[in-house]
Amino acid sequence: MAKLVEIDVPEERLRSACAGDEAAQAAIYAATAPAVFALIRRLIANRAMAEDLFQDTMMALFQRLPEFRGEAPLGAWLRQIAISKCLMFLRSPWHRARLHLENDGEGAHGLSALVTPAPPLEGLDVERALESLSPTARAVVWLYEVEGYSHEEIARSFGRSVSFSKSQLARAHARLREWFEPGEGRQTCTSIQSNGKAL
Amino acid sequence: MDQHHNIMRHLRALPQETPQPYDWAEFRRRALRRRAKTAYAAIAAALFLLVVGIAAWIRVTRSDSPESIGSQSTRMAGPAASGSPASVDSRADAAERWLVSLPSEPVVVRVGTRAAVAGLEDRIAQIDDFLSAARVEGTQPAKLVAVEEQRARLVNSLVQVRYAETLVSQSR
Repeated sequence: MAKLVEIDVPEERLRSACAGDEAAQAAIYAATAPAVFALIRRLIANRAMAEDLFQDTMMALFQRLPEFRGEAPLGAWLRQIAISKCLMFLRSPWHRARLHLENDGEGAHGLSALVTPAPPLEGLDVERALESLSPTARAVVWLYEVEGYSHEEIARSFGRSVSFSKSQLARAHARLREWFEPGEGRQTCTSIQSNGKAL
Repeated sequence: MDQHHNIMRHLRALPQETPQPYDWAEFRRRALRRRAKTAYAAIAAALFLLVVGIAAWIRVTRSDSPESIGSQSTRMAGPAASGSPASVDSRADAAERWLVSLPSEPVVVRVGTRAAVAGLEDRIAQIDDFLSAARVEGTQPAKLVAVEEQRARLVNSLVQVRYAETLVSQSR
């Protein structure tokens, strides 16, 4: 299973894709789409929104492909585009208003929609734990712990201070620890949905 | 600490790939649809701007624009004091016709302007009363010329104030 940052494409195929060769473009799409979509789903829980952002990202990839200089694998460059699209969405007033309405209403972030087909039990639990975080906290945790972003990079991406990134991460860790704590501290999907409170 | 590392290990072990949401053909179809939407939105925005531009142009150039009202009122409020009694009457009549054509209450009402309008209207009404009484008493028209000129000046002043008021309300 390839990580997005490690996905690379032969130069010949890149040139053909830049020249408008649809077969080359389709091959690049097939090579990168699963990892791009997985990354976007980690950052954006709502499937419809994630698909929209995925479409945006892949369209941007083919539009900006001639700008790609090949200094890093294509996947690393594509990851930047995808993360930037997701963070732009998370920072948008439209998304904040929508989140506010959702919190006033149902409260949950569509848990069932997030769950990927037939994951191992442990993985499913981690996905649910991630889902219990607010979209911002989830993005910060994922970028810091998995994608290897520094607090400075996260702060810059969100247009906020370093302390914002640190505090989001600390609170998210506390929340995740709570989730995985054995015994009475452990939460269930039902309790999250009824409480409707995210981090 | 162990728990923290455990969680992070689980996070990093999550699948790095999920099935792509749709295939290349569907991606192309959605991309085309999105481009068409963007093009339609651009066309709609251009049409909207065009309509707004035309409306603004019509508003500026139509015959009853503030400028034309201004020139009309200036013509009416012209050299009233220096004309013959007949011309004073005709100018005062024209000014009064223009005043009648205005809405009784402008959209924007300023206290100071309203007070000035009310004061002028009161003084015109007093002069009208005086003229009516004088005519009933059979006063010679030649003796009333000065009063009629005074009335014409007041009407002209009223026209100026109402014109300014109209300009303000149209500029909002």
